[in-house]
Amino acid sequence: MRRETQNVLLILLGGAVLKICLNGDFTRYVKPSLHPWLIVAALFTIAVAIVSIVRDIRSGSQSDGHDEHEHTHSSRSPWLLLLPALAIFLVAPPALGADKVLRSGTVVAAQPAPGEDFTTLPQDDAPLLSLSEAVMRAVWDDSGSLDNREIRLVGFIVRMGDGSIDLARLTIGCCAADAAPIKVKLQGPDVDTYEPDTWLEVRGTMVADSATEANGYVPTFTATTLTPVPAPADQYEY
Amino acid sequence: MDCLVSNDTEARHRAGSTRPDDRTRRITSLEVFCAIIILAIIFSGPLSRLLSGPGIQTGATVFVAVCVQALPFLVLGVLLSGLIAAFVPPSVFRKLLPSNQNAAVPIAGLAGVALPGCECASVPVARRLMQQGVPPAAALTFLLAAPAVNPVVLVATAVAFPAEPRMVLARFLGSMGTAVVMGWLWARFGNLNWIAERARRRSEPRPGVSRWEVFTETARHDLAEAGGFLVLGALMAAALNVLVPASVFTSLSGQIVVGVLVMAVLAVVLALCSEADAFIAASLSMLPLLPRLVFLVVGPAIDVKLFALQSGTFGRSFALRFGPATFVVAIVCAVLAGVLVLGGVR
Repeated sequence: MRRETQNVLLILLGGAVLKICLNGDFTRYVKPSLHPWLIVAALFTIAVAIVSIVRDIRSGSQSDGHDEHEHTHSSRSPWLLLLPALAIFLVAPPALGADKVLRSGTVVAAQPAPGEDFTTLPQDDAPLLSLSEAVMRAVWDDSGSLDNREIRLVGFIVRMGDGSIDLARLTIGCCAADAAPIKVKLQGPDVDTYEPDTWLEVRGTMVADSATEANGYVPTFTATTLTPVPAPADQYEY
Repeated sequence: MDCLVSNDTEARHRAGSTRPDDRTRRITSLEVFCAIIILAIIFSGPLSRLLSGPGIQTGATVFVAVCVQALPFLVLGVLLSGLIAAFVPPSVFRKLLPSNQNAAVPIAGLAGVALPGCECASVPVARRLMQQGVPPAAALTFLLAAPAVNPVVLVATAVAFPAEPRMVLARFLGSMGTAVVMGWLWARFGNLNWIAERARRRSEPRPGVSRWEVFTETARHDLAEAGGFLVLGALMAAALNVLVPASVFTSLSGQIVVGVLVMAVLAVVLALCSEADAFIAASLSMLPLLPRLVFLVVGPAIDVKLFALQSGTFGRSFALRFGPATFVVAIVCAVLAGVLVLGGVR
């Protein structure tokens, strides 16, 4: 492959990564703390290509000799750099959703570190909890901090294989490849009217002791109100 | 394409020595590139519809995620590789490392602690070390140790297993054991001819080429080459991520031998980054600790993404031998470390 083509491919890839960093779409793929490193990496990728192009132009070697060079030392692997660049520019795959939850097994909520106590919930009316925290409390907190407490949760709808409706979020450690689902069984008025991947804010209470070994420690949440909401800017929990 | 030969050739071209006999016009890669871009833009509608099936969409997201996630680490790797090529003469390594290969291997393993990157960063660096005259056995030990035993990974493991601090020690010993044993095995049985010629050739300082030029050209070339193979690995990892049913995890509880083997295979096919795999392992609480430790030791040593990178960098003949050997050694070392530190299967 000509070095010119390699350079253009590198600029395209760097530009694609820079684009999702600037418009915020990068949170569909990786954890937010990678943001500055992604920008540095994208700029570096673009910079080495530009330095190379400038050097070629300065030395004035836009000669036919390159064709011969390409012929003798051909490597095709850089062509593959087109795939992620085109995927980002043309398709921009959405954040993972219900399909990923259905493909994953049930993952037991993380156990809090020993000695780490659950802080008391804020006293205000129906505090908004992350799904991870709500499920962790439902499974591991013996003090019953969620019993009879009205809370609010945000997640998307998943229709499970057995016909039940779950409210789910995906947690990621590094990037979307290691996404793991966190979910509650959702009960409430007209829950089965919502399409999968619909984002809802639900208000209600966790059913006490509903997370058992038999159901894979998935607690049940009884909602009194369900409000469709736009998907949050950052769809994963961490 | 070989970087050094190509650099020489390119330097010649830049010097203006064209070959008048090669005047025939052919379609060049630049024109192919333009054609692909234009076609992709014209057919972007049907293309996105094609990719909108739920399974394919999940795969596409995972594919982009692996590529995007790996880019900063790959850049770190080529940056180091370029800096070594430009500023660290081979004599430095000859002074630093013992001349005996077997003695150099453990030192290379400990040096791996200092590079807080993932697999993608260590492959270009290991190749560069080899070209700067580091014994191949030591460079390969570094390749295996760097992604597995650096502080970032060990801290992540400690955070993921708050109730089992011994997992950190077990992981460290298992991974370090794998790296050192593979280094010694290479010193004893390895054959330089398995490594592609382009990765072996010593880099010699060339007159008239500035360090800045060596650095940028090396980095640019490594990025384009290794990046391509990384994309290939990401494609495989994304496909397997979608295709491997999660039920394999749950069906394993209680069968320790099968559990160890399946977790080892899963570590290879899922190709998780070494900073995140501890959290996945921690969430599989239906499994005993030993298979999960195997998952953590095998993953950073060999997976599909790494295999693609290795065969691109060192040649297929090398990767086909080194990959399977690493797989077996990593399982054995993980089981030994588990029995020793965790005191059994648990």
